[in-house]
Amino acid sequence: MISARTAPALLLFAPLAFFAAFFLVPMAVVAISSITTDGGALTALHYTRILLDQYHWDVLWVTFRIALVTTAICMLIGFPLAWYLVRIVRWRAWRRVCVILIIVPLFTSNIVRSFGWMVLLGRTGLVNQGLMGIGLTDRPMRFLGTETGILIGLVYILVPFVVLAVGNALATIDRGYEDASADLGVGPARTFWFVTLPLCLPGAVSGAIMVFALAVSAYVTPALLSGGQITVFSMLIFQQYSSVFDFHYGAALSVTLLVLTLVLVGIAGRIGESGRRAA
Amino acid sequence: MQLLLSIDAVSKCFGTYQALRDVTLSVGAGEFVALLGPSGCGKTTLLRCIAGLLIPERGAIRIDGDEITAAPPYRRPLNTVFQNYALFPHMSVLDNVAYGPRRAGIGRAEAYSRAREALALVGLEDMGARMPLALSGGQQQRVALARAVVNKPKLLLLDEPLSALDLKLRRRMQIELKHIQEKLGIAFIFVTHDQEEAMAVANRIVVMNAGRIEQAGTPGEVYRAPATRFVAEFVGEPNLIPASPAGPGRVRLAFAGLEVPAADGVRYAMVRPEDVVLVDGQASADVVTAPGVVEDVVAIGAMTTLFVRCGDVLLKIARLGMAPADLRHGAAVTVGLRPAALHMIAE
Repeated sequence: MISARTAPALLLFAPLAFFAAFFLVPMAVVAISSITTDGGALTALHYTRILLDQYHWDVLWVTFRIALVTTAICMLIGFPLAWYLVRIVRWRAWRRVCVILIIVPLFTSNIVRSFGWMVLLGRTGLVNQGLMGIGLTDRPMRFLGTETGILIGLVYILVPFVVLAVGNALATIDRGYEDASADLGVGPARTFWFVTLPLCLPGAVSGAIMVFALAVSAYVTPALLSGGQITVFSMLIFQQYSSVFDFHYGAALSVTLLVLTLVLVGIAGRIGESGRRAA
Repeated sequence: MQLLLSIDAVSKCFGTYQALRDVTLSVGAGEFVALLGPSGCGKTTLLRCIAGLLIPERGAIRIDGDEITAAPPYRRPLNTVFQNYALFPHMSVLDNVAYGPRRAGIGRAEAYSRAREALALVGLEDMGARMPLALSGGQQQRVALARAVVNKPKLLLLDEPLSALDLKLRRRMQIELKHIQEKLGIAFIFVTHDQEEAMAVANRIVVMNAGRIEQAGTPGEVYRAPATRFVAEFVGEPNLIPASPAGPGRVRLAFAGLEVPAADGVRYAMVRPEDVVLVDGQASADVVTAPGVVEDVVAIGAMTTLFVRCGDVLLKIARLGMAPADLRHGAAVTVGLRPAALHMIAE
């Protein structure tokens, strides 16, 4: 017999067990190994090593700069796209096609996609041939091994998150608010700025947080498109785990990146929260 | 009265559905006009055409002689109270009310002082710092009204503004709206499907049906002398007594064989339930009587409605107060009415 009390407990058990096994335990393992030595003694050595070394700060700066610029470009591209899909497209079939086109890149493997970009962005790749063909440049531009190349690869795959988050927010805004603003004598541009934009801020912020978190932690795309010229933080972590086999140091690097990312996401979340409370 | 708004042969379609057909209407400065009709009659469409949220295919709309038929809503000298209020959820009550003046480029201090004034007008001067969603429905309605009058428009459009309120609050707001309208001297166009509400607030009622204006007139004209059967039935309860031709310029009614003068084509004589009486003993000379049998008694305290069958006609009779106990199903009564209270209807 399953009583009314035990039924929800049973239903909750599987997801909670999954959460514990695959999220809590690995986190705890990483956190503990970041403050211990091979012998098991407590130490802060790994962290002092990271924080006192200028090289790590340089890599962190590159990592966060790439993530922030990626987020900014994704917003600049994703917001108008979302607006187009929600507000301008009248024909539902075409809207569906557009959404599928935007999501399709997410179905391909990260590695395959990055190799694809390597081919396209190479010296004799399609992009350079196209640029030279229309006369924008005489010599092939260098994309691989530059931040530009990494940005192209990241933006391409992260734009859909902004489009979906902002599109969803836009679709749920009651058009009556914009009618009311126009009725009060305010033109379309200022209505967008004072009414529409604040109302979809929570959706935009959650999209931006997703993009930022994914861009900070991205490994495959920067690793393949950097051509060994640029190092981001996730690459340092990967080196420690896979080449150096210093799991303690790698764990400390992971925790450092995680904490700094959470601080930035927390700040952004607060901005979104103030918007959400109002909306 | 000075002409403020003139609507000239305006038509509007949605696909193949004709929402407005050649609607022509004038509204004078300071008038309180109610657009009354069932849902789908085009009253909200007409309001949105005036507001600029819809553009009619044909016809012209002018305010103070300026044609604004295709002008965008933000270039029209009028404001709207929306049915769902549409208060900006991300702004405080005071910011909502100050939105119009502030965006119009009026200084911050001046805009807020006007907003506080408008809030005081609707009795919400202490609520400025609250968020709109933290207010009750009635308070939100007042904020929407304050936000719409703060710009001092010449014309205020109200789209079923009271429909979300409960009955008691609604009655109170009707009286308050009327006072505010008189105080500000702004012309109001008030959309409603509730005929009692229209009669309670408006100086003039425009009854609409199927995209057309059926009749426009004072509440008294619309109630006493409805132009069509639709108006008679939509505004109040009518008794429609069938009329058949009885010689040139005369019809015979299906009540006591009464013959009255009437124009050609008249098919009904309408009489309101309160103009039909029960006669005890001798009736006065100007009252026509007929025997009847009570079929139903509906008493709601202040008023009792009797359903009395007189031959082929079932008459509704309204009496003040509760009816005496002997007036019940099957009771034989004498029904009387004054021919002067009859109003002839063609269709």
